Amino acid sequence: MKKIRGYVYSRPFMGTKVPQHVQNLVIRDYCKKHELHFLLSTVEYSMLGSLLILEQLLEELETIDGIVMYSLFQLPENIKQRHRIYDYTLNSKSTMHFALEGLSMENEKQKTRVENIWMVRHTLPHCLSFEGN
Amino acid sequence: MFLSESEKKITNEYLENGYIIQPVADQGALEWIRNQYIQIIQSELNISPTINPEQLLNHIEEYVSVDTLNHFRLRMIEGINALEPFREMYFKIARPYLEVLVGNELAMQLRVNLSIQLPNDDSSLLQVHADTWSGDSPFEVVVWLPLVDCFGTKAMYLLSPRASKKLNENFVDRAGKSSKDLYQNIRNEVKWLDVKYGEVLIFNQALPHGNRCNEESETRWSMNCRFKGVFTPYSDKKIGEFFEPITLRAASQTGMKYNPPKVV
Repeated sequence: MKKIRGYVYSRPFMGTKVPQHVQNLVIRDYCKKHELHFLLSTVEYSMLGSLLILEQLLEELETIDGIVMYSLFQLPENIKQRHRIYDYTLNSKSTMHFALEGLSMENEKQKTRVENIWMVRHTLPHCLSFEGN
Repeated sequence: MFLSESEKKITNEYLENGYIIQPVADQGALEWIRNQYIQIIQSELNISPTINPEQLLNHIEEYVSVDTLNHFRLRMIEGINALEPFREMYFKIARPYLEVLVGNELAMQLRVNLSIQLPNDDSSLLQVHADTWSGDSPFEVVVWLPLVDCFGTKAMYLLSPRASKKLNENFVDRAGKSSKDLYQNIRNEVKWLDVKYGEVLIFNQALPHGNRCNEESETRWSMNCRFKGVFTPYSDKKIGEFFEPITLRAASQTGMKYNPPKVV
């Protein structure tokens, strides 16, 4: 069974803040469904823009099979940083999982898929919005 | 509006009725999907591959009880969605109609749903509702695809845009105390939509719809999946966790990455 380290946020991302225990519940459920051995989650520092914990996890990819983030929108907003993380993951032949979206990234095709979703979400605040009920 | 005559015809039909029913745009994709389901069923239930597919689907109640139906349905959903080409096949079935009604830069639901309704089973009914009443954006359409002929109470019903407008104007009085009351109030106005295998239904999910106990002698198998314009407003069902862009165009791809020249 593949060993996967969890990664959760203690700060808002894309205008959303999700309690850490809820993030962990979603991650656990994802790992169960995909038969992954879930190693405990690490929590990113709350300082805006911090990626220190994620950087540490990338170094850990030598000894584990991948990282499971709560959401792909926890990837850095800076496009260069984001691509560096994709490429580091793929070059180390590891997998990045995104529990909320139920997606994973372990090849170039999946990288494009994840990046397209990220870019559209990033663009949506500039598009027409809808006031619900 | 620079729509062609055929586009105008489909557009007017959708606006007037709240739905269109058309032959599937890709018969090969439909057959691929049904064959995949048959293989998943044979594997799940350990039954002979010699049984006629139409017979097997229409009479799955001979193999699956009401008690095990939901577990079986979830296994089917899991199995079909795990197949990499599946969602693209599903899209191909409705693509030209979606491009007329929604646009050519589309977002698609990440997982296609499946409904299985056994004869006389009242345990899995979908009470009258509009998807927009529970978190869907009014910019979405539903592509509803049957694996068997659906008719009578084996099908679904929809309230027309005209009747829906009247309902909305007087909703509190007409809804009564429960969704059952609401259905009773509109039951003579809803339209039951007969959709044959080989046809696809695209409907406006902001209109009240649902199903009733299937009183026909056969089981209903139908899939449903939401589509919308990528850059149209989202509601509770967001990009990433529910929708995914499937036909991003070059101008959008370059536009999203655009940065003006740096002057300092």
